[in-house]
Amino acid sequence: MLQDILQNIISGASIGATYGLVGLGVVFLWLTISRINFANISSAMLGAYLFITFYGMNLGFFLSFVFSVALIALYGLGLRQFIYEPIRKRGGGRLEFVVATLMLCTFWLNLIIVAYGALPRPFPPVFGKSTDFVSIGSIKISVLYLNIYFVIAILMVLIYILLNKTLIGKSFRAAAQNREAAALMGINVKFTTSLSFMMATCVVGIAGILLAPIYFVSVELGGGAIGVKGFASAVLGGLTNPYGTILGGVCLGVLENFSTLYISSTYKDVISFSVLILVLIIKPSGIFNWKSKRV
Amino acid sequence: MKLGKGIFLVLVLFLSVAVFGSTIKLALVAPFTGLGSILGDYIKKGALLAVDEINAAGGINGDTIELAVYDDAANPSTAANVIRRALFQDNAVAIFGPNMSSSVIGVHPLAQQAKTPMLVGATSPSFRYTVIPNDYLFRLRADDGVKVDNLVKYAVEVLGIENPGVIYGSTDYCLAAYEVAKKKFAEYGIDIAAAEQIKEGEKDATGQITKLKNAGIDGLVGLTHESEAAVSVNQMRQYQVDVPIIGFSAWGVPAFTDLAGDSAVGVYSVQGFNPIDPDPAVVEFVEKYEAKWDGEEPSDPAQAYYDGIYLIADAIAAVGTDGAALAEYLADGAEIVGVQGELKCDEHHNFTNVSLISQFDGKDWVIIDKIF
Repeated sequence: MLQDILQNIISGASIGATYGLVGLGVVFLWLTISRINFANISSAMLGAYLFITFYGMNLGFFLSFVFSVALIALYGLGLRQFIYEPIRKRGGGRLEFVVATLMLCTFWLNLIIVAYGALPRPFPPVFGKSTDFVSIGSIKISVLYLNIYFVIAILMVLIYILLNKTLIGKSFRAAAQNREAAALMGINVKFTTSLSFMMATCVVGIAGILLAPIYFVSVELGGGAIGVKGFASAVLGGLTNPYGTILGGVCLGVLENFSTLYISSTYKDVISFSVLILVLIIKPSGIFNWKSKRV
Repeated sequence: MKLGKGIFLVLVLFLSVAVFGSTIKLALVAPFTGLGSILGDYIKKGALLAVDEINAAGGINGDTIELAVYDDAANPSTAANVIRRALFQDNAVAIFGPNMSSSVIGVHPLAQQAKTPMLVGATSPSFRYTVIPNDYLFRLRADDGVKVDNLVKYAVEVLGIENPGVIYGSTDYCLAAYEVAKKKFAEYGIDIAAAEQIKEGEKDATGQITKLKNAGIDGLVGLTHESEAAVSVNQMRQYQVDVPIIGFSAWGVPAFTDLAGDSAVGVYSVQGFNPIDPDPAVVEFVEKYEAKWDGEEPSDPAQAYYDGIYLIADAIAAVGTDGAALAEYLADGAEIVGVQGELKCDEHHNFTNVSLISQFDGKDWVIIDKIF
């Protein structure tokens, strides 16, 4: 019994960490430009498809990874240049950006189907096989999830340093609070905005490459449940707290597994999203958005 | 003078049609976008192969077939819109698809209203003729009721499963199959030990497999789509639940084995089609399909719609393009031998009941039994 509980906590936390990783892209944009990018999850799908394309060209893991992430960063820059800035300059606000990115999400989904077909593809076993696992006593953890934990740990440290120990972090916060005032104070707002777009797409793009062995290289990575759950994780972190976002995702994953284990697999999503809505009603600013440590 | 030119042009047009034949418009409605689009590609390629073959052989009584393709995104309301267009604007002689059961249930009255045959590859038993008596609705492959019956029969009689677990999806395809499985197990006096649902898109089935394991199952019946089949099998292996696994038709296709990898080895499946089937008709079809589509291997829907095009061609050759006459002929007179064997409309308006029990050996699905 205890073993079942622990196993479900571990698996739930693992799948939940993937939601949190996707949610980080939402947080980065909100932190700097206070906009929600509804095409956030598209970067994950693009990252996975770019990786298998380069890998299929026999470029090896390292080069495939670097080229994919570089292109995703460029895509982030393009997103700013061709979607965000034109809308902003013509007086469009948050709603227009949301609608534009929502359409962009559908655009990418359909472009991928046209270019690659709709069949899910297996991801090359560069991170190990999906059935490889590590046993801790009677608890089993997939090696794929261990990779995700490792990358999340590195990302968390980098994000902490970037946002709290560098001038860039201060620029991010200043630009988010008042764009004009920040510019007057000598902050290069254009650079800050570009960087935030690139970071947001890069993090989700890397997430896509890490998640592909679990989600397969499929359009589900660009519009399925993971996108919604990524948003849910970001909202649990108050849209501003990267650590809270990861924790929010982990809790959502565990909640899902416990709903299956103790209530019903049929009502799993109904139960977990009901709890999520309830939590948001009680604390709209995000249950994992502790202000004392807010970045 | 102008009148003379006009008459001349009309005559040229008339003679062209008489000499070169006119076109017979058929509509193909399948998902090419959205998450159900896995099947659209197979369907279109199977149908186009047949159309090209028939046209290359001189068409139907000299008339060539034109296949208009519509995307329903596996969505009933989109399917209704495109079928209305195909029927009432483009005047299609027959409709192929939709391929999703939920869409068929929503749109089949349109075929009746337009008096145009609708031939579908969707497999839910919930629209058998005995349930929905639509004279214009026909099915091109064995329905899930037949396949699940055969699956349960094999699980109980051959694999000796007495305490089965079931993992099933949430679409009509999966739910209808689950109902049939429950009924069939009950006929053997067997209660399902645990039935767990994995929704489409889910990537973690730990909770479900924990419950199945704790229920002491001695066999797992899988009634899900391909991706969820791969997730379930991977995690069954990961948590070392060592029982026979027998899956539904979506478990017996390359889309599943590619995703599941080594975990798929040993899995049984009930299939409507197997590309290594030594049946000469299947061998010929696979060779032609691979030659036309750059070595791609066909799947179950491809052969069904391929056969369907030949069925309608036979019907048009026999009775012309009148919808009511076509429907009557398809129901009573049509009888051809296709890739799936002998095709003849039964009391459910199904043209075939062929299914295979196969086991995956790591490379191919080895056919254990072929049931007609």
